[in-house]
Amino acid sequence: MTTNTVVDVHNLEKTYGKANERQYRALKGLNFTVAAGEFVGIMGASGSGKTTLLNMLSTLDVPTRGDVVVNGHDVTKMRGNQLADFRAQEVGFIFQDFNLLESLTAEENIGLPLALKGTSSRVMDQAIHEVAETLSIADLLPKYPSELSGGQKQRVAAARAIVHHPAILMGDEPTGALDSTSARDLLDLLTTINQKQKMSVLLVTHDPFSASFCQRILFIKDGQIGSEIKRGDQDRSAFYQQILNELGTFNE
Amino acid sequence: MLGKLALAGIKHRRRDYLVLLVGLTMSAAIFYMFANLATNQAFIKANAVVSQASLIFGFGAVLLILITIVYIMYANSFLLSMRQHDYGLFMMLGATRKRVGELVFLETLILGTLATAVGIVLGLAMSQFLVGLLLDSLGLHLAHLSAFYLPAIVVTGVLYVGLFILASLFNLVRLTRTTVLKLLHTDEQANQPVIHPFRQMVAAVFGVLFLAVGYWAMAAITDLEMTAIPLALVTITIGTYLLFRATILVIIQGLKKTRWAKKHLNGFLLGQLNFRVYNYTRMLTIVSLLFAMALGAITVGSGYHRQLPMMANSLGTYTIAVHNKTAQEQRLIDQLNVKHQATYTQKRQGKVVYYNAAELQRQPFELNKGTTEAKYATHPKYYTESLKQFKKGGSQSLDFLSLAIRSKQGFYAPQFLSARQFAKQPGKTVTVTTVRVKDLNQDRRILKRLNKLELSRFAQPAAMTVGNYQSYELMSGFFGGLEFMGYFLGIAFLAMLASCLMFKILSGAPGDQRRYQMLYKVGVRQKLMRTGIAKEIGILFLIPGIMGVIDVLFGLQMFKPLMQSPMSPYLGIGSIFAIFIGLYAIYYVITLTLYWRIVLPKAPTD
Repeated sequence: MTTNTVVDVHNLEKTYGKANERQYRALKGLNFTVAAGEFVGIMGASGSGKTTLLNMLSTLDVPTRGDVVVNGHDVTKMRGNQLADFRAQEVGFIFQDFNLLESLTAEENIGLPLALKGTSSRVMDQAIHEVAETLSIADLLPKYPSELSGGQKQRVAAARAIVHHPAILMGDEPTGALDSTSARDLLDLLTTINQKQKMSVLLVTHDPFSASFCQRILFIKDGQIGSEIKRGDQDRSAFYQQILNELGTFNE
Repeated sequence: MLGKLALAGIKHRRRDYLVLLVGLTMSAAIFYMFANLATNQAFIKANAVVSQASLIFGFGAVLLILITIVYIMYANSFLLSMRQHDYGLFMMLGATRKRVGELVFLETLILGTLATAVGIVLGLAMSQFLVGLLLDSLGLHLAHLSAFYLPAIVVTGVLYVGLFILASLFNLVRLTRTTVLKLLHTDEQANQPVIHPFRQMVAAVFGVLFLAVGYWAMAAITDLEMTAIPLALVTITIGTYLLFRATILVIIQGLKKTRWAKKHLNGFLLGQLNFRVYNYTRMLTIVSLLFAMALGAITVGSGYHRQLPMMANSLGTYTIAVHNKTAQEQRLIDQLNVKHQATYTQKRQGKVVYYNAAELQRQPFELNKGTTEAKYATHPKYYTESLKQFKKGGSQSLDFLSLAIRSKQGFYAPQFLSARQFAKQPGKTVTVTTVRVKDLNQDRRILKRLNKLELSRFAQPAAMTVGNYQSYELMSGFFGGLEFMGYFLGIAFLAMLASCLMFKILSGAPGDQRRYQMLYKVGVRQKLMRTGIAKEIGILFLIPGIMGVIDVLFGLQMFKPLMQSPMSPYLGIGSIFAIFIGLYAIYYVITLTLYWRIVLPKAPTD
């Protein structure tokens, strides 16, 4: 592993069910890396193991075998508080269902990762307003999630995911619940975050349009990496076409 | 088909239903226990020698009915919140409103009737147990009291089933008027309370005013009589509600602006409280009332329990006097915790009783300042006099005279003779042993047997009491009913309080489960979540606790006319408060542990 690798997955396996029961192998020895500042997409059909993989990366689930190293931390060796602190400091999440706390305002939701670290309120205010400027959601700050549209909610969620400058931003179908305009806005936003803040982004999706914003795409099939394509210098619509072609042959 | 679906829905959430059912059953059981006392006219007439006692029962009944109504409303809204998603789904699948309405109506009614029936049976068992336990441990005899009392069963049944019919109708109307979409998505709707400074101020002022009127009414019970209790009840309820509503939100929103709110989960905690403040206001009001009722009732009950012996002790100097004690009586005396004991020889002739002066000099007769001076009434002061003084003073005291009762007309007149003269003096020789015990309550059982033996051997006029034990028995008959009611109601209200708070856990848990799952994903440490929940539930326990204690401190004024000097409703309340708060704290810990188990996300395992 070199210093500019953010995620290093080695021989990752996950088997559900106990040894004496009927077992299901969701991941069957996965290997891949994500370099610092990279925008990587992970695609695959339903049940291919995308979400399982993301849960392993984000320490919400424990692998059966193999290693996951994120920003120099071997997450498979962490326990209890280490896991919680890892999630709080090294990773930013965006979920399909937003996961905003409806009892807090947008501002309080965004500030949560900083509050957990014990950041002083002055620094916190500054960080919140900075990120709100970047994502142009400053006017949403005093509102509660119930007063926001889906797209606005997801922007707030994105702000919460990056406010503490994590090593990597992970998205689990973040556009899944959004209309096409909001989805496009959010993807542009992720690209901006990736380029301006040099933050690595890992996007799990089954939507080719979302995937076309990535620089590199890994296709998972039956718990293994089936193929990999790179965007290189081509523009987004050409890459989109390439993804569609790849999906066409991949799923055969 | 729809019936089958509904049943499947219930099966799916059987744990929630079980708790709902248990809560309602408990409520019905407690109500039965109360109704058993309140509707038993024979019991009230036989035991409530003081006119206010029946008043207190009336007050208790009204209050319990009100609390029951609120309680059932609570339970009903919980039931509705559990079911409305399913009902919405049925309608979306094409069930007619009429059919779903029938389902709702039947479901509520069946659940309610079931809870009522089980509750009455449970109430019978609990009454049996509690009546037995209390009467035994308090050493009271209450006439006409039994666990099974038909009118009480009827009252409980009619009230509960009636309330459930109302609740069913309410659910019916509510469901058939709400749109399907709203039913499906009620979980996600949020209400954010807004502060209106002026309205808030007005509410606070009125709240304090209402409370003041309520507290005043309780203190002025001798003047207001019948009106005092309902007046206090209404004003204190409204006052508490307004005060909570005015202040809690302001405090939360004020705290939100501080730096403290931006540390760790404090902001989330405040958000949680803010989010549910209006639901909480109602619950906190009810819980604070129940807390006050339970604490107040137990304080009064234990006040009588502790103070009756004290009162008895202030009336005389010895606990019991035994004449010509037998071997059996001696054995009983040996079992007592004796503080002071003396034996005198009497010779009775004509209208005179002769004492041996030497004997009295050797062991002077003990006197009690408490019988004559008010300031020693609560802490008796025992003293003796020289024989010369005693002949003029102490020998004329009722305590000493009572050692030789002649007939209904009076006592033998005491005379003191020298040892030689006393030996020559003819007359019937009687020895009398006076015993003063350390703690009347503690030795109650042995004293009772001694007293019985003594009375069977020497028939004394009924109006004459010899020793403090007899005064104690007399007063127990007088105030025992109140003592019993205090303990009984205290325990009943405490149980009600417990089940009321339980609904808070239930109704809040599903939403919180989701929220803590989110926090878990975002990387909040387990310990932080634990302390966060501990704080939130702690606040819900603390606020009604404080309000309840204040209510009780004022409310005890009501019992001043019933506990006249040297008794006082405020005497020795510290230890009772401590015990009660200890119980409350234990209940807090149980609630908290339960909540942790329901809400905290489990860490993944391989």
